[in-house]
Amino acid sequence: MSETTPTPIATAAAIRGRRQWPLPKQADPDAPLLVVEDLRVHFALESGSVKAVDGVSFTLRDGEALGIAGESGCGKTTTALALLRLLPSNAKIVSGSVRLFGIDLVPKSESALRRYRWREISLVFQGAMNALNPVQRIGDQIAEPLVARLGQSQADATRRAGELLELVGIPRQRARAYPHELSGGMRQRAMIAMALACDPAIVIGDEPTTALDVMVQAQILELLERLRSELGLSLILITHDLSVIAETCDRVLVMYAGRIAEEGPVTGVFRRPRHPYTQKLLGAFPDIRADRRSLEVIPGAPPDLRTPPPGCRFHPRCPLVMGVCAEEVPPEITFADGVRVACHLYPPGSDGTPVPVPSMAVGGGSFASAAGAGSFASTPDAGPPGGDATTLADAVAEEIAAEGPAHIPSLDHSISPERPPGDR
Amino acid sequence: MGSRYLARKVVQALLTIAFIVLLNFVLFRMMPGSPDRVLARNLPETARAELRSRWGLDKPLIPDQFIAYVGSTLRGDLGGSYKFNGRTVVDVIGDRMWPTIILFGLGELIAIVVGLSLGAYSGWRRGGPVDYIGNGFSLVLYSMPYFVIGMLLLIIFATGLGWFPTSGMFSLGVRFQSFPQQVADFAWHLALPLATVAIGLIGQYSILMRSSIIDTLTEDYVTTARAKGLTEGRILRSHALPNARLPAVTLIAINLGYVIAGAITVEVVFNWPGIGTLTVTALNARDYPVLQGIFILLSVSVVLANLVADLIYGVLDPRVRT
Amino acid sequence: MTSRPLSAGELRAERWRLRARGMRDFGRRFARRKDGVIGIVVLAVFAFLALFPSVLVGPLQTATTAPGLPLQPPSLEFPLGTDDLGRSMLNLTVHGARISMVIGLLATAVTVLIGAVIGIASGYLGGRTDTVLMRITDFFLVLPTFVLALILAPIILDLIGTDATILGIPSTLFVIIVVIGVTSWASTARIIRSQALSVKERMFVARARVIGGGGAHIMWRHIMPNVLNLIVANTVLTFAGAILTETTLSFIGLGDPLLPSWGVILNSAQTSGAPGLGAWWYFVPPATCIVLVVLAFTLVGGALDDVLNPRMRARR
Repeated sequence: MSETTPTPIATAAAIRGRRQWPLPKQADPDAPLLVVEDLRVHFALESGSVKAVDGVSFTLRDGEALGIAGESGCGKTTTALALLRLLPSNAKIVSGSVRLFGIDLVPKSESALRRYRWREISLVFQGAMNALNPVQRIGDQIAEPLVARLGQSQADATRRAGELLELVGIPRQRARAYPHELSGGMRQRAMIAMALACDPAIVIGDEPTTALDVMVQAQILELLERLRSELGLSLILITHDLSVIAETCDRVLVMYAGRIAEEGPVTGVFRRPRHPYTQKLLGAFPDIRADRRSLEVIPGAPPDLRTPPPGCRFHPRCPLVMGVCAEEVPPEITFADGVRVACHLYPPGSDGTPVPVPSMAVGGGSFASAAGAGSFASTPDAGPPGGDATTLADAVAEEIAAEGPAHIPSLDHSISPERPPGDR
Repeated sequence: MGSRYLARKVVQALLTIAFIVLLNFVLFRMMPGSPDRVLARNLPETARAELRSRWGLDKPLIPDQFIAYVGSTLRGDLGGSYKFNGRTVVDVIGDRMWPTIILFGLGELIAIVVGLSLGAYSGWRRGGPVDYIGNGFSLVLYSMPYFVIGMLLLIIFATGLGWFPTSGMFSLGVRFQSFPQQVADFAWHLALPLATVAIGLIGQYSILMRSSIIDTLTEDYVTTARAKGLTEGRILRSHALPNARLPAVTLIAINLGYVIAGAITVEVVFNWPGIGTLTVTALNARDYPVLQGIFILLSVSVVLANLVADLIYGVLDPRVRT
Repeated sequence: MTSRPLSAGELRAERWRLRARGMRDFGRRFARRKDGVIGIVVLAVFAFLALFPSVLVGPLQTATTAPGLPLQPPSLEFPLGTDDLGRSMLNLTVHGARISMVIGLLATAVTVLIGAVIGIASGYLGGRTDTVLMRITDFFLVLPTFVLALILAPIILDLIGTDATILGIPSTLFVIIVVIGVTSWASTARIIRSQALSVKERMFVARARVIGGGGAHIMWRHIMPNVLNLIVANTVLTFAGAILTETTLSFIGLGDPLLPSWGVILNSAQTSGAPGLGAWWYFVPPATCIVLVVLAFTLVGGALDDVLNPRMRARR
């Protein structure tokens, strides 16, 4: 596990100096690398329209690594595929903009958009056994974009493919191998080599390490880190594994049911999660340094996106739900430390302390602020139910201040899976 | 290609052929008293006994008759035809082989080229008018027995429009001036039966290829190819087709057994003097030696064709070679 | 769900409740598939024709009761014309529905029976039995079964004798049914075996064994219901194949002229030279019926397969 050295944030002008290929003619030299604004993607199914991505915005700066986290089906992969319009035919980008170097990709025609694929943004899929053509040698697959997109000769492309393989740690003789002849880890490396072929600005990794065992996972992450610093790549890493994001990324974007729950620098979000969903997510992950305790479970299941819940989409499962949560979509507000949250606990003008939740929402729930509670320790639970939240919050805050994180009582299992938070 | 794969497939084929020979023997000898019962029904007992000993039927079935049978089969002696007195089975069948090979071989060739292309295009451009019409058409053709297609073509183009002859392989009673003239006459007679076989097969192959391509389109490597910014044409040619054609090869091979059924009936419709019409003649006359011979011929052909298909598959799909 | 063990009665009630819900869901999903619905409608029409032919067109006409002149084109009196014996084509075609469908049904039953027995035995027993049975199955898959059927038919017919009646069915038809069944079971056996294998792996079989059920009991109570899904879709397609095979065998001359299925009618059409004479009404009606029925079965089979065995594509 290597330390993440922060890469200097630069503008497109600096990128132009470092890159092998010139920027697109329409590029705006002062714009950030990638700006996604209010992206909405809908799927047309027989049974209805699925609002898979519903108002997602974020910015990726040059050299940055952004992690997109969330449960399965929350829209993270759809967002990534939407950037290059690689969605299946029944999906449509209904609104929003995707600005790469300041150029909006959404209104572009298919053939105009094709220019940007792989040359500016490339993809590494999970489970590379299916993502690689099983009847074609991997060397040919790596060389293919060089020949077809960059117009190189077959000989040059083959040579370059060999170089790329060595770059990711595969001996270049293996270029003649077929995907099924390689191990899982090597296939993933081959996919990474392929993604780098046209020297893109951004590489998107969709669960790049999910199917691999832990040792290989660490190697792949280390490889990505090395490539990032050597080549000045920007990364978007999509995963449900928060530890991967913590290790590799600068910023994290937590998605839930097609919307953003929380977004910001990794240290800020993980140390001090504000959105209840983020807190639950972090609580669901075991920390090897903390006391042994039962894992927290988020009761309920992700919503059916054909008929998503009104207002905040998380409210049916939220332990701190209030009346307004079921009526209004929470606005996004940004705090001073760069963290952005969309939750009614933090109305516009909030300073970071959550709004007190009315008493009926208490009992068995955890409270929201976890000041100074250490990196991955879960938010502590209160003792017996009853009493109103203000007193609860105060009491626990006092206890933390007094005793320190190690003495925070561990989560008990009073939140059993069958009892939803609304049942008091 | 791995020699292990090759060897394995060849051995399997030989084993299957061996079983075919065994089955053939069982069918015709084990059935109580077939040969002499059918033929010599009306002869007095002494004559029958003499026939039986001449044919070796009075020896025990196993091992004597069986070994004799295998021996003669391997030597190419399949016995004498009951109906066509005096001619050997090999002779009788041999005469009829090449018309069938031409009809059937050309038909398959055309169908493979046209059917697979149509299916691939249809599956790739899903939803276009070509797709709907083509798919609907193919579905109907798929449900039509070949001889129905033949009868329709015959009544429309031969009887109705008079563009083609209604039966036979050559015009009767005509003396040909030159070889090209003979070929032209042959081709003229071949047209409708060939069209029948081809159309029937095209229906099947295009449906097959269409669904194969559609399956391929949902695979991740096609998404990768699109992400690479490749043109649709290139994705189809380099990624979709090489994978989609694999099940096509397998299914074409499996299908061969059924195509034979169709070919037999098509020959009947057009009175094409091939194996098909021979089979029907032999069937009606209960000419068992000829039927046996046809069974072996057709079965072994199918096995060999499957072997060829397996080998082709081995070339196309590197995953099976290990 | 609490984990208090349920009584046998409660278990059964729960199972039926789930089954009922399953059937309702199935009905809804199937109704959405237009092609399957069209198929069912067509089959219903033909089933009706097959069940009440005499009501609709009168008794089956024979050579002696032929009402019309030979090979007459369609007219008001004979809407589909007459055959070479002067019988009404409409009469023949409607009666042919019953004969073709019944033969197809019985042949399918034999096919599925043999295939199911071999498939389940092979899948469940495993080991040497499995290997041997599968070798035999593969052999039958490669063999051109039509040729085998064609050759078996006269042999068996000679064995039985052309005038006998077996189980109430004249020997000619009996032979066709048996011959189709004996040659077409292989693909059904393969499918069923693969399903039986996957079911065998599942935990409840192990549980039943713990409780003490013997081998046959396990096969019947536990494996069968789950295999049934696949069998149903496959049976429908087998039916289509059986009708096609019977038609072809009859066309070649192995059918019974006294019980004219559509294939037999087509055989008569061919031998009397109808296509060459331009008598399209002799073969177009039975041919159209065959195409419609086979098409309908194919559509229904395909729809059933999709609904019962959905192939999930993961959408992230």
